[in-house]
Amino acid sequence: MTTPQISIRNLCVDYITANGDVRAVNDVSFDIGKGEVFGLAGESGCGKSTIAFALMRLHKPPAFISGGEVFFADDNGGMKDILKLSDGEMTVFRWSEMSMVFQSAMNALNPVIPIVDQFTDVIMRHTSKTKYEAVKRAEQLLQIVDIHPNRLTDYPHQFSGGMRQRLVIAIALALNPKLIIMDEPTTALDVVVQREILQKIYALKEEFGFSILFITHDLSLMVEFSDRIGIMYSGQLIEVASSQDILGSPYHPYTHGLGNSFPSLTGPKTALVGIPGNPLNLLDIPTGCRFQARCPRVETVCKTKANPLRDIENGHMSNCHLAVAGESIAVVELATA
Amino acid sequence: MGFFLRRLAFYFIALLFAATLNFIIPRAMPGDPITMMFANATSQVTPERIAAMKELLGFVDGPLIVQFGMYMKSVLTWDLGISVQFYPLTVNTVLGNAVGWSLFLAGTAVVISFTIGSVLGIFAAWKRGSKFDTIMSPGMLVIQAVPQVVTAMLLLFVFAITLKWFPTSYAYTPGVTPDWTSWTFLKDVAYHAVLPLFGATIVQIGGFLIAMRNNMINLLGEDYITMAKGKGLSENRVVFNYAARNAMLPSVTALSMSLGMAIGGQMIIEIIFNYPGLGTVLLNAINARDYQVLQGQLLVMTLFMLFFNLLADMLYVLLDPRLRKGA
Repeated sequence: MTTPQISIRNLCVDYITANGDVRAVNDVSFDIGKGEVFGLAGESGCGKSTIAFALMRLHKPPAFISGGEVFFADDNGGMKDILKLSDGEMTVFRWSEMSMVFQSAMNALNPVIPIVDQFTDVIMRHTSKTKYEAVKRAEQLLQIVDIHPNRLTDYPHQFSGGMRQRLVIAIALALNPKLIIMDEPTTALDVVVQREILQKIYALKEEFGFSILFITHDLSLMVEFSDRIGIMYSGQLIEVASSQDILGSPYHPYTHGLGNSFPSLTGPKTALVGIPGNPLNLLDIPTGCRFQARCPRVETVCKTKANPLRDIENGHMSNCHLAVAGESIAVVELATA
Repeated sequence: MGFFLRRLAFYFIALLFAATLNFIIPRAMPGDPITMMFANATSQVTPERIAAMKELLGFVDGPLIVQFGMYMKSVLTWDLGISVQFYPLTVNTVLGNAVGWSLFLAGTAVVISFTIGSVLGIFAAWKRGSKFDTIMSPGMLVIQAVPQVVTAMLLLFVFAITLKWFPTSYAYTPGVTPDWTSWTFLKDVAYHAVLPLFGATIVQIGGFLIAMRNNMINLLGEDYITMAKGKGLSENRVVFNYAARNAMLPSVTALSMSLGMAIGGQMIIEIIFNYPGLGTVLLNAINARDYQVLQGQLLVMTLFMLFFNLLADMLYVLLDPRLRKGA
C-alpha cells in the first residue's frame, strides 16, 4: 500500500468520571489511504464519534487523549503527528487539511448569521483571499452542491434539512481538505434525501480525490458507500475488512451478529437474530475478549488471554481468538447447517 | 411592517388596561387628598371651602363611572391636572422636572451594568471553572443579594460622609441654576451622579452576568460552536460571533425589562441620595395622597415599560433572523 493519508496508531481516549477514568477508545489503529472511504461502524457508545472528535482534537472535557499517535500526510510526502501540534498550529491545520461534517446539519450552522458569512469566515481565515474572492468561492461551492448562489445571503432556517446538510458539506469542501470526517452525515434525513446526499458526496470525492472517514451505525448504508470498514465494540476495533468481505465472510462473531440484525430487502423472510445481552460496562472490563459475555462461540481462551487485532488473511483483520484464515463464520455456518 | 402595527395595537390596549389600574389603585387606598391637606389646619374648615378646593384641583364628584370617563379623557389628552402637594404646579411640570433625572440615573445604570455584566458573563462561561468564574459569578450574586438600602447607605456613609470624596445628596450643587451648556455644571452633575450611579449599577451586574453566563454555557454545547472551532476560526470570532451573538438574545429582553422598570424603580437610591427623580416624587406623592401626581407618575412608568418592551420586540426581530416573516 502507498503512503496513507492518515495513519492512526494506538489511539486511546479516556473520559474522567467519578468512578475513575474510563477508556472509551482503546488502542485503536487504522490507516485511511488517499482517496479511500473508510467506514467506522458499531453500536451507540462504542467510541466511533469519540475517535472522530479526537482526530480533529475537538473532544470536550471530560474526554482527553491519553495515548497514541495520528500521522497525517503533508504535501512534502512526510507524515506529521497532529496530536503533537501546538494549539495554534492545530487551528491552522483544522479545515484546511482535515474538515468535518457533523451529525446534525440542523444544528451545525449558526442560526443568526447568514450562510455567506459562515463560508467567508473560514475561507478568509485560512487563505489570503479578499472578502470579494471569498464570496465568489462561496458561490462556486454552492453550485457544487446544487444550491443556487443567490441563496447565499439567506439564513440557515430558510433551508430544508437536506439543503442544510449540503451546505455543511459545501463548507467542509471550502479549502479542498485532504480528509473529510463524516460523523453520521445522513442520520437526521429521510432515505430519499439520504441517497441524494451520499451520491453527491461520492461524486465530489471522485472529482476532488479527498479521503473520507465515514461514521455510521447504519451498516447496510456503509457497505454500499465505503471501500474498507472497521467494526468497533466497546472502544476497540475488532474487525477491519473490505466492504465486500465484512458481512459476507466475517471473522468476528459480533460482526456476524451485526449483519444478522438487518432484514434483507430481497431475500426470504427470516426471523432476525440480533445479538443477545447488553454492551459492555467500561467500568467493569473482564480479562480476555470484551465480547465474551455475549459471544455464542466463547471458549476458555477468550476469558483468559488478551486478543489484539491481527491480520487473518490479505488485510482482513480480526481480534477473535478463534478466527482461522479461510474459515470465516459464514463458511463455518454453511458447513454445520 | 404588519408585525410592527400589530405590536403597536397590542401595546395600545395594554396601555388602556394599565391606565384603568392606575385609576383604581389610588382610590383603593384609605384617605383622600383634601382631607390630608386640611388635616393639619388649625382653623375650622367649612364644607364650602372643601368643595371649592375640590373644584379647583379638578376632583370630580359623582359616580365612579363618571370619574373614570373624565380620567380616561385626561389620559388621552395628556392633561394630568394640578398637583395637590405642589399647588399650583401642574402634574406635567412636576413629572417633567423629575423624569430627566430618572432617565439619566436609571438608564445609565442599566446600560453600564448590562454591558459589564454581559462581558463578564461571556468570559465566565468561556473559562468556566476558572478562578475568574468561581470568584466573579457568585461574588456578583452576593452583591446583588444585599438589599439596595444597605449598599447605598454604605456608599453614602463611607464615600460621602466619612471620606468626603463625593457629595451626600442631590443631582447638582444646591443653589446653582441648571445650565446645560456650561462645562462646570455638567461636571457638577457628573460628580453628584457618581455614588448613586455606582450604587444602582453594582447591584444589577450579577443578574446580567449570570444570565449571559448560563445562556453561553448552554450554547457552547451546540454543534455550530464545535463546528466553528473545527473550522479553525480565531477564538475571538468563535466567542463573539458564534457563542455570544446567540446568547445575547434572551439578555436583550432582560435589558429592556430592566430599563422599563428602572425608570420608577430606582426609588431607594433616589431617596437615599435625595436625587430629584421620579422615585422621590412617587414617595412624596404617596405620603401626601397626591392622586393627580400619583396617577400621572404611574402612567409615565407604564408608558416607559411599554415603550421598552416594544423596543425589545423590534430589537429581537433585528437580532434574530428566524423571527422575520417572509424571505
